Amino acid sequence: MNIKLISIVATILAVLIAIMLFMQKGNYISQAQTHYEETTGKSYKASSQMLGFVNTGIEQNRDLWALAVNAMQNVKTAKQMADLESKLFPSVKGSNSISQKTRTFSLGTDLFIVASFGKVAEDPKTNVKTLEDLQGISVDALLGNVAKPAAESEEVVEE
Amino acid sequence: MNPDKMKKFKILLAVDIVIIVALAVVMFVLKGQYGEMAQKLATEQRDAYRKQANDMLHAQWKSVDQFGMAWKLVFETVSSKDKSEKAFTERLKAIESDMQARERQVLHLYTSAGIPEKAQIQFSELGYAEGSILLKDEGGVKEIACGTGCKISFTFAKGMLKSMDYSALEKYSPAENFKLVEPAPFRFE
Repeated sequence: MNIKLISIVATILAVLIAIMLFMQKGNYISQAQTHYEETTGKSYKASSQMLGFVNTGIEQNRDLWALAVNAMQNVKTAKQMADLESKLFPSVKGSNSISQKTRTFSLGTDLFIVASFGKVAEDPKTNVKTLEDLQGISVDALLGNVAKPAAESEEVVEE
Repeated sequence: MNPDKMKKFKILLAVDIVIIVALAVVMFVLKGQYGEMAQKLATEQRDAYRKQANDMLHAQWKSVDQFGMAWKLVFETVSSKDKSEKAFTERLKAIESDMQARERQVLHLYTSAGIPEKAQIQFSELGYAEGSILLKDEGGVKEIACGTGCKISFTFAKGMLKSMDYSALEKYSPAENFKLVEPAPFRFE
């Protein structure tokens, strides 16, 4: 009787150990999988975010460069510059500084171009001053050379 | 219990004991191996994905370098009164060889895009775009690389600039080239 009972218990034990062994394998895989998913998930999120930020930066630089290059070929006056700006950037406006004879177009504190003009013209009827005779465009900010010029708000005339 | 049955149970017990001992041994031997193997595979697959992500980030960095040089070249060519091929070649050479200016330009874009300085230093150490951005120079046509999947051209006739096509730069869409795929599921084989 004892032998019968012991052999049955031993059989059950053997089956249990076999099941445990199988489950243990699954457990190790599951732990490794969780670790893999957590770590690669973080990498994916962080890297995608960085790629996205830089892609946006490239697009902004691209559009600002395109404005500068286009203006160098086609613009003579601040009015024409304003028209070109509104065509390429409908929601952003540049601003003139009559005393400095410049027009600044900015997409951010460190992302802007400055167009320099040779003379100030005044409409005899309205007395509104504007800039003419484009001399050149400074893309120093795009090249990482300078910070944004000091505020010119006192003399800014919106086009 | 009759002796025959008794004998069968004895055999069963003996077999059970052997199986139990064998399973116990297998369990202890494989316990470490499975755990280590699964962990090793997870680490390998994680590292492979990180490498893929870092390679793409660095490729983007190098592409920004080419993009910046190409725009600078276009702008200077448009701005300069000297439209000769010789002046163009010198301009290109000057832009490519001025590593400090290239660095400033790339770093500026990354800084304004909000990328941490630590990451910028890492990319910088990995290096900028290698080789010349002049891809082809045949029959008066110079093809210039302007980033991954981007090229522009300048056409010269009798040593003078005849035309240029930088439309690829104006339309350049970086998101098409720099988008990371999600990690593949963990594989345990």
